[in-house]
Order: sequence, then C-alpha cells, then structure tokens
Amino acid sequence: MTRPNQQAAFGLLLLLAALLPGLRQWLEADMARHMLLQFPLLVAAGGLLASSLPAHMRRAFAHCNAHGLTGLLLAMLVLALWMVPRALDEAVRSTAIDAIKAASLLTAGAALRLSWAPAGPVVQAFFLGSWAWMNATVGTLYLQSPLRLCNAYLSSDQNQAGRGLVVIALAGVAWWLSRPEVRWFLFSDQRRQPATNIDIAPDRL
Amino acid sequence: MSAADTRSSLLALAVVALAGIAAFAWASSGFRVVTSETARRLAVAAEPLEIDDARLIGPGTPLHELRRELAADGRVALVDFIYTRCTTLCTTLGNEYQQLQREIAAQAVSDRVRLLSISFDPRHDTPEALAAYARRLRADSAVWRFATIDDASQLTHTLETFGIVVIDDEMGGYVHNAAIHVVTPDGRLHRIRDLGQWRQALADALALGAAS
Repeated sequence: MTRPNQQAAFGLLLLLAALLPGLRQWLEADMARHMLLQFPLLVAAGGLLASSLPAHMRRAFAHCNAHGLTGLLLAMLVLALWMVPRALDEAVRSTAIDAIKAASLLTAGAALRLSWAPAGPVVQAFFLGSWAWMNATVGTLYLQSPLRLCNAYLSSDQNQAGRGLVVIALAGVAWWLSRPEVRWFLFSDQRRQPATNIDIAPDRL
Repeated sequence: MSAADTRSSLLALAVVALAGIAAFAWASSGFRVVTSETARRLAVAAEPLEIDDARLIGPGTPLHELRRELAADGRVALVDFIYTRCTTLCTTLGNEYQQLQREIAAQAVSDRVRLLSISFDPRHDTPEALAAYARRLRADSAVWRFATIDDASQLTHTLETFGIVVIDDEMGGYVHNAAIHVVTPDGRLHRIRDLGQWRQALADALALGAAS
C-alpha cells in the first residue's frame, strides 16, 4: 500500500463496494450497515483516492489548511451531518441526496488524509476527542430513544446502529492512544520542553 | 506557516463553517427538527399540500378517484394509512378511529367530518378483506370508509406525497409511520396529527370545515 497508484486503485475498489447498484441498496437497507459499513467505506475510499491528487492541488489545499484545521473541521461536519436521522432518511429516499452524501463522505476522507499529519498531536487529540464524544452521544441517543427516529429504519436497526457508534468511538480512542507518536507525545520528557514538540511531531508521523 | 497561509486558512475555515451551518439548517428544516416525521408535519402545517389523484377501490358504494371522492363528498376527511394484517400501529389507529367515529356521532357532526382508511397492501387487502376488517371494527360506512389503491405506481406516488414510508418488518409484515391526516374536500392536506391526538385532529377538521 505504498504506491499512490495502488492506493488509488484500492480506493476505487472500496468506492465500488459502497455504491455499486444492488450493493448500495443492500448497505442502505439497514441503518447499522448504512452508517457503520457504507460510511467508513466511502471515507476510506476518499482517503485512498487523495493519494493520487496532483501535487498542485495538494499544495493549494495545504495553503488554506494550517495545522490541518480546515480539513478536519470539514470532515467532522460531514460526519456529524449524516448522523441526523432526517438526513439519513433523505439519503435513502432520494438518489440525488444520496449522491451528495457519497461525495461529501469521499471529500471528508480526502480532507482527513491530507490534514491528519499536518495537524499534530494536539489538534489531532482535539478532533478525535470531539468525534468520539459525538459518536458516543449520538449512539446513546439512538439506543435510548423510545421513538423510531428514521422512517426508513426499524427500531432494532436503530439500536444496533447506536451500539455500533459507541463501539466505534471507543475503538477510535483506543487506536489513537496506541499510536507510538501519541505515546511519545504523552509520555516523553520532551513534551515539557516548550514549543518544539508540536512542530516536530508532524514530521515524525 | 506564512502569514498569507494563516489568512487563507482562516478564510477557508469560515467558508467550511458556514457551509456546515447551511447543511445542518437543511437537514433540520432550519434547526427545528431532527426526524423526517416532524419535518413533514411542520411542512404541511406551514403550507397545505396538494394531494394527487389515485384510483380507489374498496367495499360498499363505488368510490371515485381520490380527488373527486374528496370533492364529491364535501366533508373534511381524516385519512390514515393501514394494512389489515397489522397487529401493532394499525390496531392503535383502528382504536382511535373507533373513538373518532363515536365522537363524531356524539357531537352530531357526521355531515362535516368523515373517516377514510387507506390500505397500502392492496395485494392482501382486497375489497372483501377490507369489508371484513370494517365489520370487525364496527365501522359505520356513512362515516368511515375503507379503500386501497391497486395501481402500484399510483400507490407509491400517494404514499410519497403524504410522506408515508412503509418498510418490511422482517416478519412478513410492515413497519410504517402512523398518523392522522386532515384533508379538505379541495384535495389539500392541512395537518398531520400524531397517534393519540385524535381529538385535535377532529377539532382541526371541524375548524377547516367551518372555514371553507
């Protein structure tokens, strides 16, 4: 998975898996599959496809993406938007809105890929923490709501999606804490030295 | 990181934040709802929705097409969507419609309000099945009619217009959003009331009938 071409090809494969007629309907027929399988497929596809973006586009994006903030905010908003039950219902109801959903999740994946390293541990921690908190909160809401929130989905689907969101949030935090550079940042003595660590860390990622 | 980069990054952040706000405003109908069920109720209450025509079939005296049926009858209709094999929501709706039927008789307003139950399961709910269902609920055909739409595309279109989503419950039945729809003789949907709000639905119907 090192060469951009290979990455892009794999990204394309994931994109097809998420959107191919038949597969798309199967994924979207169940709330948990929709949110916990199709969304990650699209985000991952966007990240992988970003590897073959031309250099001038990456440079242009980097110019307005200081500390990865723009890209991470974009990714965060996109992920949050498609957790709104109404937005999910609309994506199931209308092909046009589903296309917007897919495009936005792809973009979120690409933005995430291009922003994660420049962000550095502090900004990463902020976004990962917010994302985990958001997932866990929405997941709990799905689980506890006595109402069926989406007209397109069964209550049992809703509960499963809720549980899945909580699990993904915890897994995300665990993954982040397990990263060597995070351990380095959290536990190394160097963090007590002012100013340098944030600038060094991204290059080490 | 140059000063120019900082400036363009701040600008980009502002653009992303604004786009995010716009997207959330869309999804929540202006930060008022999170579910499509509330959204359709708000939309209808804000502006009545024109219902399209569909061929109705059902027991009893022949029914007209939906629009003409509403117009020819002249009363405000409380419309619900059901299927007769349903043992959950439709039973509740059935109970509420029985209470409505009693209340309409008690208030002597059967000349102003009528009840119309439309099945979204025409394959099973033939006019005979609907007649049996009506008998079971002791429906008075002068007040409460049952019908279905046997043309698949007309049925889909009608459900879409009303905002009814019917999904497979994985046990041979259906799950659907249930509500009482207040429809005037001119074929416009004015109000959607939740289960349990049949009194309000009746009050809406009487007010709309008096206004027209």
